[in-house]
Amino acid sequence: MRIRTLSIIVFLGICLIVAALVRLLITRDVDDGSITFSLPEDRFFIYRFVPLIAAFIVGSGLGVSGMGLQVLLRNPLASPWILGLSSGAGLGVMTMMFVEHTYNVGFLGGQSIGAVIGAIVTLSLVYLLSRRRGGIDPMTMVLVGVVISVLCGAGIMILQHAVPMGLRGAFTTWLMGSLPEIEAWWKLTVLGVITLLGILLIAWWGPTLDAACLSDDEATSVGVDLPNIRRKLFVTSSVLAAIGVILAGPIAFVGLIAPHGARLFIHGSHRVLTLTTAIVGALLLVCADDIRQLIDVGSGRLPIGIVTSVFGGIVFLVLLLRNRGRI
Amino acid sequence: MRLHISDVGVRFNKITALRGVHASADGGKIIAVLGPNASGKTTLLRLIAGLLSPTYGKIELDGIRVDRMKPYDRASKVSWVPRVAEVAGAFTIRRVVELGRYALGPSTVRVDEALARVDLLDRSESLWHEASAGMRQRAAFARALAQRTPGGLIVLDEPSSALDLQHLQSLGDLLRRCASEGDIVIAALHDISFAMEIADEAVVLKEGQVVLAGQTRAVLTPSSLGGVFGVDLAWAVDDAGKRHLVMP
Repeated sequence: MRIRTLSIIVFLGICLIVAALVRLLITRDVDDGSITFSLPEDRFFIYRFVPLIAAFIVGSGLGVSGMGLQVLLRNPLASPWILGLSSGAGLGVMTMMFVEHTYNVGFLGGQSIGAVIGAIVTLSLVYLLSRRRGGIDPMTMVLVGVVISVLCGAGIMILQHAVPMGLRGAFTTWLMGSLPEIEAWWKLTVLGVITLLGILLIAWWGPTLDAACLSDDEATSVGVDLPNIRRKLFVTSSVLAAIGVILAGPIAFVGLIAPHGARLFIHGSHRVLTLTTAIVGALLLVCADDIRQLIDVGSGRLPIGIVTSVFGGIVFLVLLLRNRGRI
Repeated sequence: MRLHISDVGVRFNKITALRGVHASADGGKIIAVLGPNASGKTTLLRLIAGLLSPTYGKIELDGIRVDRMKPYDRASKVSWVPRVAEVAGAFTIRRVVELGRYALGPSTVRVDEALARVDLLDRSESLWHEASAGMRQRAAFARALAQRTPGGLIVLDEPSSALDLQHLQSLGDLLRRCASEGDIVIAALHDISFAMEIADEAVVLKEGQVVLAGQTRAVLTPSSLGGVFGVDLAWAVDDAGKRHLVMP
């Protein structure tokens, strides 16, 4: 690894640590709304530490998932959110919540399994409907993704309408996307380990991902088994995105922005780019969490999904305008 | 190495792209594939490179069907140079050339040598999306040079379409050198003068069929090519006494 690359990773790592410390220290006075930096009492520390860990898992996972999808579909605008994967996973979670509540039954894995199934089914639909002449048409894919996303959104609204009033509030809060302040440690550990494994797997496939960025014929001619790497990327990206949905609900734009943020620093090798994207993804989400601690709209802190949507939307527009000649 | 094509045809849905192609070639030869637009040149080259499976017939390299080889194994025998190389991502030219070694293991020496041969060693750290069409075409050829194993097969789809005269001459020299090291070199070309300059044999396609094949000088004549392309052609002799096909 070159010294410049290593320096960049160390720099981003330091930024992440600083952002994480800010998250742990930032304190808003409940009476006058003033901001101070201090550690909370021991019994409240966990309420800052758990969302921080969740932000690490969700941000890094969504970022790497987006990068994987951008390689898989050879499209710089691909992301779990744009392709409807997040809303598909959301629909899966909502369906599970609806079934569990309405029929008073429990499933092994519950909402988590719903998220994974929803994510894989949605991405499969987008992938199949975007095929043209044996390949993927980037513009069709983005349009299909948006349509599938809207359809999943409609499904979520139908379920929201069908559930009893008491559950509607939980549905609405979930849909805004928020980092959990209370979460079982075993769940955080399992999802964290799966996310780490997914990131390491994609980093391990880095040289293959580099070659997969060539056209299909060129990639095949240098020795890449394209169907095989695409299958693996497809499943791994879906699982990483689904974990994000399980922990934080639908978080927009991190999957799109994090890979592009990493590419500002790193050119080429996807092995290094994957690790950098994971750090940038986590950094984005921790920073968004820091920002939401500072903003008071008079009705409590904003859900983090709103912060990522506002800032991510602006960056997405810039990316779209910069790339309009290429897609 | 011996390439054998027996009764090969390709259909895309109801459209016949190629039919009844028979041919064979041995190492050490440069073969030019010519023909009007949509005559099936790229389809034939993709078949030969194992990137497309024929609807019927078979293409064999030393008795092994090229479309049934695993990509990893085929990469050590067959190098492919596309008409337009595509790279999605922020890669340097060097990284794109290094990808030619994906299946064969990294080799800085081979990559530097390939970059030097196409005159890109000094520009190797330039970003791909900032490179000119000519630089990209040379980089794609350098990737094939870094990948090739002497005595293998190099398939090139219009490798000279964006090259200036100096680099065109250099491409001809490099292809001859590959052939002299035992490679079978097969290139689709639109530049008939260049084809006459470098190719030992020529295959001319029209509407998906081979209409002419044989020694270059015997095949590429005003009357034969004029009929295929539907234009009037004539010989012109330059100051050095060389004959060239021209449109009068």
